[in-house]
Amino acid sequence: MARGPRLGSIADAIRAPLLVTLAWRNLWRHKRRTAVMLFALALGIWSMVVMAALIRGSMEQHVKKEILNLTGHVQIHAPGYRDDPAVDYRFTSPAALVQALTQKPLVAASARVRVPAVISSERESAGVTLVGIDPERERGLSFISTAVTTGQYLASPDDPGLLLGRKLAERLETALGRRVVLMSQDANNQIGDRGFRVVGIFDADPQAMETGYVFIGLDAARKMLKIGNDVSEIAVMARDRNRLDDEVQTLRAAAPDLDVAPWTDVQPLLVLTEKVNNVVLLIWFAVVFAAMAFGLINTLLMAVFERTREFGLFQALGMPPRFIIGQVLIESLMLLMLALVLGNLASWASVAGLRGGIDLSAFSEGLEMVGMSPVIYPALAAGDITAANVIVVVLGVLASLYPAWRASRYVPVEAITRT
Amino acid sequence: MEDVVLRLAWRNLWRHKRRTWLTASAIAFVTVLMVFLITLQLGSYNLMVDSSLRIFTGQLQVQREGYLDKPQIRTIIPDALTLAQRLRQNPALDGVGIVVRAQSFALAASGTRSFGVQVVGTEPEFEGRVSTIPGLIKAGRYLSTASAQEAVLGAALAKNLQIKVGDELTLLGSALDGSVAATIVPVVGIFESGMRDLDRVLVEMPLRTFQDVFGMGEGAHAIALLAPDIKQLPLLQREVDRQLPATSRLVALDWERLIPGLKQLIQADWTTAWFTYIALIVVVTFSILNTFIMSVLERTREFGIMLALGATPLRIGTLVFIETALLALIGLLIGLAIGILIAATLSKVGFTYPGLEELMGQYGLPGMIYPKLSATSILLGPAVILTFILIAALYPALRIRKLQPVEAIHAV
Amino acid sequence: MLIYRMWTLSYFRASVLLLALAFAAPARAQDAAAIVKSAIDYWRDVSSYSVADMVIHRPDWQRSVTFRVWTRGEKQSLVRVVAPPKDAGNATLLLDNDMWSFTPKINRVIKIPSSMMNQSWMGSDFSNNDLSKADDLIEQYTHKLLATQTQDGHTVYVIESIPKEAAPVVWGREVVTVRDDYVLLEHAFYDQQGALVKKLTTQELKPMGGKIVAARQRMQKVDKPNEWTDVRTHEVKFGIDIPASMFTLANLRNPRE
Repeated sequence: MARGPRLGSIADAIRAPLLVTLAWRNLWRHKRRTAVMLFALALGIWSMVVMAALIRGSMEQHVKKEILNLTGHVQIHAPGYRDDPAVDYRFTSPAALVQALTQKPLVAASARVRVPAVISSERESAGVTLVGIDPERERGLSFISTAVTTGQYLASPDDPGLLLGRKLAERLETALGRRVVLMSQDANNQIGDRGFRVVGIFDADPQAMETGYVFIGLDAARKMLKIGNDVSEIAVMARDRNRLDDEVQTLRAAAPDLDVAPWTDVQPLLVLTEKVNNVVLLIWFAVVFAAMAFGLINTLLMAVFERTREFGLFQALGMPPRFIIGQVLIESLMLLMLALVLGNLASWASVAGLRGGIDLSAFSEGLEMVGMSPVIYPALAAGDITAANVIVVVLGVLASLYPAWRASRYVPVEAITRT
Repeated sequence: MEDVVLRLAWRNLWRHKRRTWLTASAIAFVTVLMVFLITLQLGSYNLMVDSSLRIFTGQLQVQREGYLDKPQIRTIIPDALTLAQRLRQNPALDGVGIVVRAQSFALAASGTRSFGVQVVGTEPEFEGRVSTIPGLIKAGRYLSTASAQEAVLGAALAKNLQIKVGDELTLLGSALDGSVAATIVPVVGIFESGMRDLDRVLVEMPLRTFQDVFGMGEGAHAIALLAPDIKQLPLLQREVDRQLPATSRLVALDWERLIPGLKQLIQADWTTAWFTYIALIVVVTFSILNTFIMSVLERTREFGIMLALGATPLRIGTLVFIETALLALIGLLIGLAIGILIAATLSKVGFTYPGLEELMGQYGLPGMIYPKLSATSILLGPAVILTFILIAALYPALRIRKLQPVEAIHAV
Repeated sequence: MLIYRMWTLSYFRASVLLLALAFAAPARAQDAAAIVKSAIDYWRDVSSYSVADMVIHRPDWQRSVTFRVWTRGEKQSLVRVVAPPKDAGNATLLLDNDMWSFTPKINRVIKIPSSMMNQSWMGSDFSNNDLSKADDLIEQYTHKLLATQTQDGHTVYVIESIPKEAAPVVWGREVVTVRDDYVLLEHAFYDQQGALVKKLTTQELKPMGGKIVAARQRMQKVDKPNEWTDVRTHEVKFGIDIPASMFTLANLRNPRE
């Protein structure tokens, strides 16, 4: 502002477009240099966004999968069931709860019987969790309604059929259309057993779902366990899994004697993993930005140095230093914006190209240990894209302040005479 | 002659001090990062493997052939204690924890409740050198002597059985000869390993007591070994293999065979991590590629004169390449120095970030990671960086070949 | 014969039919279901006492257990091991579908939970589950007379029993072969694709307890020719008076005999 008083704000306004034009022309003086820098920046942004998409994708998939794998958004149990999921911990829905479950913000709700059992074929037997479901109400609430790939889904709560996981069917050496026997502890602490015909084979992820769960009709399960109209759990799906407070409160008020737990209570590990992922992502953004910043500063410095004479001349002609700073910053901003466009386009294209998922099934056994799917589907999240772009622009402009400041500091005469 | 080229390259490098330093810093930065991340990553694998193996499995187990796939009570190591004694006397295995275990499926009952459990008979005085369970007792104490009538069990199982320290635990199973194996033992301790599968199904009792109850005679099912450092595994494997009687049909299985998922988990993590590392290195390489290109472009005239004076494009190209290599080396060395300093410091004090401890705790792992310092863990990253930079350096060096002396001299 | 009932009827429920056939009035009808019906009706009020050896054979070992068995009606049985000394005193009580085990070593009665029902009973080829199942067998199967043959001067009936849809039976079908003097000759278990899985065969007949009974029977899986479990009956008494108190938890723990 040293020479400011002579040039008013109107003059500034007139000169602003000039600066933009100058900056744009300067940017393309060295096409190759600009292209290389542009590529580096775009690559950085691409890696930020794609990395975020991969982490988000696998996380989102993980959470969605867990919720569909019989967790739901909210679960209602008899107190004690979550510690010891036995037939002893069952309940009859209070009228108030039945009423509350039909209210609007809830998308779906379904009662289940869910107890440990033993399944046997002619040759093998295995410990499983028996799940008695209401096939219609289960739609949209858990994976099972769409998971049957061979045969068919259950038709009604008293369907005499059974849905068996593909892997478990293999282990039991049984198949679609054959009969298996389920055996469990009934309400009187006696053994309840019954034969069921396998009417559907389902595929599930993780494989533990396929080997650990069998599905039968809700009423068939109730009859077998002699529990009347009782259930083990009610799973509820709301609109938004991240805003469940109201729903949980309403349900708790409607069933004060029952254990009403949102998915974050049922699967605390998921919440924790999400938290850790956020930290990892943020660190990654910072690291990639730092890597880009070196190149950005260096390139701008070079651009500034070779124009030493020019800047000196401008100053000699009365252009205030802030205009020079502005010119360099605008140049940098243009470079950054171009890189953002390219980087975002590239990320969008690669994410679109990877829509089919990234197959890591070579490591499936290991990934299963931490509950991850062997196929990752990247997912672009608006928040991550915004964060990556804002970080690059804001920090990028900040990093450019140094070369810009240097440019503005050339003493006119010295600068002009310099070769 | 080579010396002259080297000196020339070095001098050229410092014509633009600031640019050189900035470029070197970029290389140093990514080097520090790679050294830090890779040592940390390998350190966390060590931790993961080590902690998982230390809980119960051990690094190596001697078993009878076929036991791993089908753990039947009859598939025994006939004279396990003698074999273990021989292994313990082997001076090469000094410091290695060696414990004999027998294990079987049984029914555990308390009051009206009963659950299927895995009963393990172990040598109380040696178990602590292989497994962390003796140190994870939450209530009561661990087993005392090899023939004491007592048991410890996992916290989740204790909860399910509604059993406390001092209560009696009833075990019912099948003995080696098919007869009924049953015992009632007082529970002297309850452990919490953090591994849900163990805490829900594991009951430990002294080996002799187990052998009596299950009619095992002198037999056992596994000799678990744990060296202080997992790096000793090859030695462990070699020594144990050497001492297994040739005709015994005994096999020594390492942890990769015992827990195949663990290895895969590490491979998956390692593979995906390199995706991000390469992305980062490419970003840095392109960031500094400009410097290389500029240093050639601005000297077009100089090179033209050199060509006119009879220097071959190859020689000039070599000069440019050496300049770049020197620059890369400066950056790498600085980066290595700082990286090693950070990694070495963290390998003493440990590294963690918010949420990590909680998350790892869910898998029974400690939340503090200690970077692993080794030639590989330190040099792997820088080596990859160097490769990328040198490939990038080829570009300006190759451009020299296109120079025409006359045009070049007239270039601005 | 009653040991057969213990081992096969109680253990492999379909075999109950055979026993029933054994006591049934001379088979007039080719209507297998009717034969079974009257056979079971006849058999239900029977009580028995028997002593038998169970020999478990494996390629590398063999072991023998001697026990006594009391049965009353269809849903009450008690097995008490008398030898070898190591196992003597171990006992198993079956009431309806429930199963309790008593072990003198620890002087405890333990109820076998459903999760353990598929475990082997005393290391034999029979599972706890095989022992405990004693539902109403007539209602669980449909029966058909497949063939009537002549063998060693006897008429032999081959009856096919197919479990009903909801029956807790894993087999696709069971085929029993019974002589006209009601001695079971064979009981074969087929999977649901029609392949033979295991077979119980009578290897020796003897007069005991006033009837001709199977004194030696072998249970063997088709795919394991070197593994089998034999049941060898030494002594049988039929229709004796057994008090209801025999089949109680108190008696399981403190035998009064």
